[in-house]
Amino acid sequence: MGVDSQIRVATDVGGTFTDLVTFGVDEDSGAIEIRIAKAATTPPDFDLGVLDVFDRAEVPFERVESHVHGTTVVINAITERKGAKVGLIGTEGFRDTLEIARGNRPDFFNLGYRKPEPFVPRYLRREVPGRMSYQGEQREPLDLAPVAGIVDDFRADGVEAIAICLLHSWANPAHERRLSEEVRRLWPEVAVVVSSDITREWREYERTSTAVLSAYVQPVAQRYLGRLDEQLRSRELGGPTLVMQSNCGVASAASVAEAPIMMVESGPASGFLGAAELGRRIGRPDVLALDIGGTTAKCSLIEDGRVRVMTDYWLERDRESAGYPAMVPVVDLVEIGNGGGSIAWVDDFGKLHVGPQSAGADPGPASYGQGGSQATTTDANLWLGRISRDDFCGGEIVPDLDATERALTEVGARMGVGPTEAARGIVRIANNNMVNALKLISLNRGHDPRDFTLVAFGGGGPMHALALADELGVQQVVVPSTASVFSAWGMIVSDLRHDYFHTVLLDVDRASVGAIAAAFSEAERQAVKDFVADAVDAGAIRMERFGRFRYQGQEHTTEVALDADDLAPERLAGLTERFHAAYEAEYTYRLDAPIEMVGLHLVASVPSAAVAPDPQPPGDPDTGPARIGTRTVDFAELGIHEAALLAADALRPGMTCPGPAVVEGAGTSVLVHPGWTMTVDGHRNLVLDADVTPEEGR
Amino acid sequence: MTATADRPTAHDPITLEIIQNSFQAAADEMFVAMKKTAMSSIIYEVLDMGTAVLDEDGELASSGAGIPAFVGVLDKACKVIIETIGSDDIGPGDVFLTSDPYRGGVTHLNDVVVAMPVFADGELIAWTANIAHNSDVGGMAPGSASGEATEIFQEGLRLPPVKAISAGEPVRAIFDIVQLNSRLREASEGDLWAAIAAVRTGERRLREVAARYGVDAFRAASRDFMDYGEQVARAGLAGLPEGTFELEEEIDDGRVLHVAITITHDEFVVDLTRNPDQAEAPTNCTRDAAMIPVQMLFKSLTDGGINANAGSFRPIRLVTRPGSVFEPVEPAPMGFYYDLLLPLYDLLWRCMAQVVPDSLGAGHFASVCATLIGGTHPDTGRPYSIIEPQIGGWGASAAHDGNSAMFSGVHGDTFNCPAEVNEAKNGLVVRRMSLNTDEGGEGRRTGGRGIVMEYELRADDGHATLAFTRSKFPPWALDGGRPGSPNYCEVVAAEDGSTTRYSFASGLDTAPGDVIRIVTGNGGGLGDPTERERSLVERDVRNGLISAERAAEIYGS
Repeated sequence: MGVDSQIRVATDVGGTFTDLVTFGVDEDSGAIEIRIAKAATTPPDFDLGVLDVFDRAEVPFERVESHVHGTTVVINAITERKGAKVGLIGTEGFRDTLEIARGNRPDFFNLGYRKPEPFVPRYLRREVPGRMSYQGEQREPLDLAPVAGIVDDFRADGVEAIAICLLHSWANPAHERRLSEEVRRLWPEVAVVVSSDITREWREYERTSTAVLSAYVQPVAQRYLGRLDEQLRSRELGGPTLVMQSNCGVASAASVAEAPIMMVESGPASGFLGAAELGRRIGRPDVLALDIGGTTAKCSLIEDGRVRVMTDYWLERDRESAGYPAMVPVVDLVEIGNGGGSIAWVDDFGKLHVGPQSAGADPGPASYGQGGSQATTTDANLWLGRISRDDFCGGEIVPDLDATERALTEVGARMGVGPTEAARGIVRIANNNMVNALKLISLNRGHDPRDFTLVAFGGGGPMHALALADELGVQQVVVPSTASVFSAWGMIVSDLRHDYFHTVLLDVDRASVGAIAAAFSEAERQAVKDFVADAVDAGAIRMERFGRFRYQGQEHTTEVALDADDLAPERLAGLTERFHAAYEAEYTYRLDAPIEMVGLHLVASVPSAAVAPDPQPPGDPDTGPARIGTRTVDFAELGIHEAALLAADALRPGMTCPGPAVVEGAGTSVLVHPGWTMTVDGHRNLVLDADVTPEEGR
Repeated sequence: MTATADRPTAHDPITLEIIQNSFQAAADEMFVAMKKTAMSSIIYEVLDMGTAVLDEDGELASSGAGIPAFVGVLDKACKVIIETIGSDDIGPGDVFLTSDPYRGGVTHLNDVVVAMPVFADGELIAWTANIAHNSDVGGMAPGSASGEATEIFQEGLRLPPVKAISAGEPVRAIFDIVQLNSRLREASEGDLWAAIAAVRTGERRLREVAARYGVDAFRAASRDFMDYGEQVARAGLAGLPEGTFELEEEIDDGRVLHVAITITHDEFVVDLTRNPDQAEAPTNCTRDAAMIPVQMLFKSLTDGGINANAGSFRPIRLVTRPGSVFEPVEPAPMGFYYDLLLPLYDLLWRCMAQVVPDSLGAGHFASVCATLIGGTHPDTGRPYSIIEPQIGGWGASAAHDGNSAMFSGVHGDTFNCPAEVNEAKNGLVVRRMSLNTDEGGEGRRTGGRGIVMEYELRADDGHATLAFTRSKFPPWALDGGRPGSPNYCEVVAAEDGSTTRYSFASGLDTAPGDVIRIVTGNGGGLGDPTERERSLVERDVRNGLISAERAAEIYGS
C-alpha cells in the first residue's frame, strides 16, 4: 500500500453529533475522495462516539496517516465548573492577584454588580519569596523553604492540580521553573501548570488566570486525550492523533495535554480556518466568516486568506460581567448571544429583543414541541416559510405549528401586532444584532465589508446570510458544500501550528534592531524545540514574524508583518512606514511620534498534507433536475415570494438559479433572496451573487 | 396594550429600533477608538472620558460604553457650542472644542470636549462628542490641577467653544494654542487627535444610517428612543416610595454636606441648596458636575441598564444655590471637583439606601484615592507619571457579601495597572498588592475588602501627591452591620524607617527606597454579625480574612 493511499481523518465531537471527514486517494482512479459521516456523541465516554463514526465511515484504521481531533471538553469543563481543585503558588505579596483581578465593572449603572468568583479560593492561594525585575534580572533570590509546607497543605486539602505564576516570569522564567521542579520533586503525581510554559506576555493577573484555568482543566483533558489515544491505538490507528487548538492550528496530543487551555475555542477556530481555506481555494481570500449555531452567532474577519490570532481572550465576559482572561492564542472572533434558539421577548415598554437567553436544546424552540413556550428565531424562520416544515431539523422533528403560533402570537400581542408581523420583527432584530457583530470585526477595525466575501455556515448561517450581506453591501456569499460538518472540514485542512506571543519592550530605532532580532531568534529557537519534540523535521517549519508596535505612550498595539531582512538597520524606515500606514488604516490619522515595540508574535507552522480535489467542470446550468417544488416564503422586509425549492444533494456544478429560491437538505436552509443568483461551483459550494450593486449612499 | 400600539406609526417600530441600536453602536465605537489611540493612561486605562451621540439640538440620544461618570455632561457641552457658535457657522466636516466649566458641560479644565455635527441631505441631524481628561493643560502645577489654586486662572487653559477643524481642514491656530499651553505636548496632540478620530468615526456611522433609512426615520428614531428612555425611567420612579428624604454628613475636610431628595409621582428632586459656600480651594463642583451623581444614582435606582439618553433623566430636577460649592461663581477653582462629587454621590446613595435598602447595599470605600507619583525613570531616564485612582471594598447587600477590590461607583469598565506593567513603565517596584485584612465591615453580610499596595520608589527626584477621602469617616454600614475601614496611605522613609500616615499630601518629595503604602477601605457591613451563617464565618477564618479570635468576638461562637 503506497503513500498515495493514505487517509487523513478529522473527528469533531459536538454536543449532539460527532462528525467525521476523510480525505483519501482512491487506489484505482487516483481521484481524491472526501467522505463524511455523523454519529451520536456519547458522553461521558466520548471515545465510543469517535470509534463509532470511524466505523460508520468504514475508515481502515491502519491506513490513517493522521487523525485530527476537535473537542469541547475544555470549554465544557469550565462552563459547567467541573474541573479540578486547583492550588496556586505566586510571588510573595501577590496572593490575591487572582481575586483582585482588574477592578473593572462593565455593568456600571448596576450597583448590585457581582464580581466573578475566583477559581481558586484564598486558602489555596500561597506565596513564595523571590523577585525578578521586568528586565529579567533576579532582584531577590527564590526561597524554596516554604514549598514543602505548601505542598503538604495542598495534599491535605485534596488539591488535584497546581498552578504556578510568579511575577515577571514573562521576562525570565527561571524562578518558575525551579519552583515547579521542587513541586514535582515533592509530589510527582500532581498536575503542575507553569504560567511561562503557556504565555510569555506581561500582566500578572491575566497570566495567573491562564495558568489557573489550564490547571483547572488539565486532569480532565489528560484523561480524555489519554483514553482516546488508547482506544485508537488498540484499533491500530496508522498515524498520530493531533488536536485542534484555538489558534486555528493543530498540535500533538502530548503537547496539548500539557496546556489544554489552548483548546478552549477549538470549535469556532476550526470553522473559521475552514472558511479561510475555502476562500483561498475559490480565489476569494478576503472573507467574513459567520457561524450561526443554536445559542450564539460567531464571526471573524479573514484577510488575504489569513485568520487573525490574538491573546486578548476572556471567558464569560459580556456587558454584565468582567469574565476570566485566558492569555492564549485564540482566533479573533466576536460572539453574540444570537442563535436559532435565542428567545424573543418584549420589554415592558413594547420594545422587541432577541436573545441573549436561549431555549437551548431542552426544551428548545416552541416548534420543537418539547414544552418550549417562548418564541425563538428558529420559530420565526419556520413560521415565515424560511425553514421547511417537512424537513425540519433534518426531518427528525415534526414541527409543532400550534405551539409556534401561540408563542409568536404572545410576542405580537405585546407589540400590538399579529404572529406573522412578530415573526418578521424577530428575524429583522436578529439580523440587526448579527449585522452589528459583523460591523465590529470589519468597519470598526477599518475594513470595508464590501471588499469581502461572506462565508456562512452553522445551522442558521445560510438562512440569514443574504439579509446581512444586503445590509453590509457584501456582494458575494458562499455556503460551503461541507457546511454540515464544517468544523471537521476545517480541522482536516489545518496546519501544525504554534503561536508565540512574547512581550518585548524596546524603542524602535537603529540602536535596538539587534535586540529585536535577538528576541525573534529566541522565540524561533523555542518553536524549533517544540516541533522537534513532536518529531517534526526542523527544516519543514515555516516562520512568520509580526511585531507589535505603538506610538510611545499609547497602550494598544498594531501588529505589523516583518520579513527576516526588515531588521537590518537600513531597512528601519520601511518598517516604521508600514506601522504608520497600518495605524492610519485603522484609526484614520498618523502621528510624527517615536514608535516603541511592545511584543512579538511568531507563527511557526508546518503546512498540512491535506490535498485538494480538483474542481469538477461546470455542467448544464439548468437546476430543473434539483427542483422539488415551490413554497411561499416571507422574506421579511423584502416581502412574500413564491420560491423555487431545490434539493441540495441533486445540485451539480454549473447549475444556476435566480432568487427567490430555497435549497434544502444540507442540514440547513439556504435562502436565496430576490435580487441574488445562486451558482454551484466546481466543489459544489453554493455561490450567491448580488444581481446589481445595492443603492449608493455609503 | 402597550404604548407602542397606539403610537402614530409613521415609521415601523422595528426600523426605529434598528436605528437606535446603531446610535448605541456608534457611541460604543467612538469609545473604543478613543481608548485605543489615546496617549495618556488616564484616558486609556483610567477611562476618565466619555462618548455620546446627541440629536441636532444637543439632547443625549445615546451614551457610550465604559463609564457612567460623564453621561450627563456632553449634552450640555453641545448646547453651549450650538448657542455660542450659532447655526450659521456650523457645517459639515467641522469639529469644535470647549473646556470652560463656567460656560457649562465641562467638569474642570483638564476635561476637553470635542464635538462634531452630523449632516445629511444638507441638514444638521445629530452630533457626536467626547470628553476626556487631558494630562496637562497648563496652569500653575504639572497636571494642571493644584491643591494650591485659589482661582480657575491658575488651573490651565480655558477654551470657549471654538472651531478646531473647519470643513475638514484643521485650524492651525487652535491646535497651536492647545499645544503651547501644555507641558506634555506630544500627549496633548495625540489625545486631541484620538478624540477627533473618535467623533469622526461616529459621524461617519450616523451619516450611513441616515442615508440608509432617511433623515425622517433617523429623527423619529432619536425622538422615540428618548421617549422610551423616559418611559423606563418613569416606570422605575413609580416603584420608589414618595416622600422627602434628607441626610447630612460631615466629610473629611470638615465641611458638612446636605442632600434633600423629594420623590413624587413624576419628579425626582434633589435639593443641594443647604450646602457650604464655595471654597477658595479647588474643591468646588459646578452645577453641571453636581448633576452627574444625581443622574447616576437615579439611573441605578430606576433602570440599571447600560444605555442612557436624555429621556432617562427627564424626571430629575436639581436645585442648587449660586455661590455654593455646587454652583460656584467665577473665579472659584475646581481642579479637584471629584473630591466633592464622590462624597455627594455617596451621600445621595446613603440617603436612598435607607429608603430602598434592598436595592442599594451599604457604603463602599467611596474615594477616588487619587495617586500621583512621578519622577525620572531610573532605567530609561525619561520622566514618568502615574495618575491613578485606586480600587477598594464595596458594601454588603442584603443577599451578598460586598465585592472586594473594585473601582469606585463613579468608575465603570476601568482597569487597574498590572504590577508588571507598572514596574516597567514607571521604574518602581510594586512590593505588594493584596486584599486589606484590616478590621471593619463585619455583619450578617460583610463588606468587600479594600487593597494594600506598596510602591517602592527608585527615582532620585521622585514626588507624590495623594488625595484620599473617607479617611476620617469609614464607609457606612446598614441595618446593624459594622462600618468599613478607612482609606489612607503611609510613607515609609528609606532613610530612617519612619512611617508617616496621610490622607492628603501634595507635592511630597520622595527618595529611592521610600515605600508608599496605599490602603483602601473595606466596605460597610449589613445586618447583625451574630446572624452570619456559621459556615461563612469558618470560610472567612480559613481564608485568613479574619482571625479565629476576632471571629469569635464579633460573630459569637
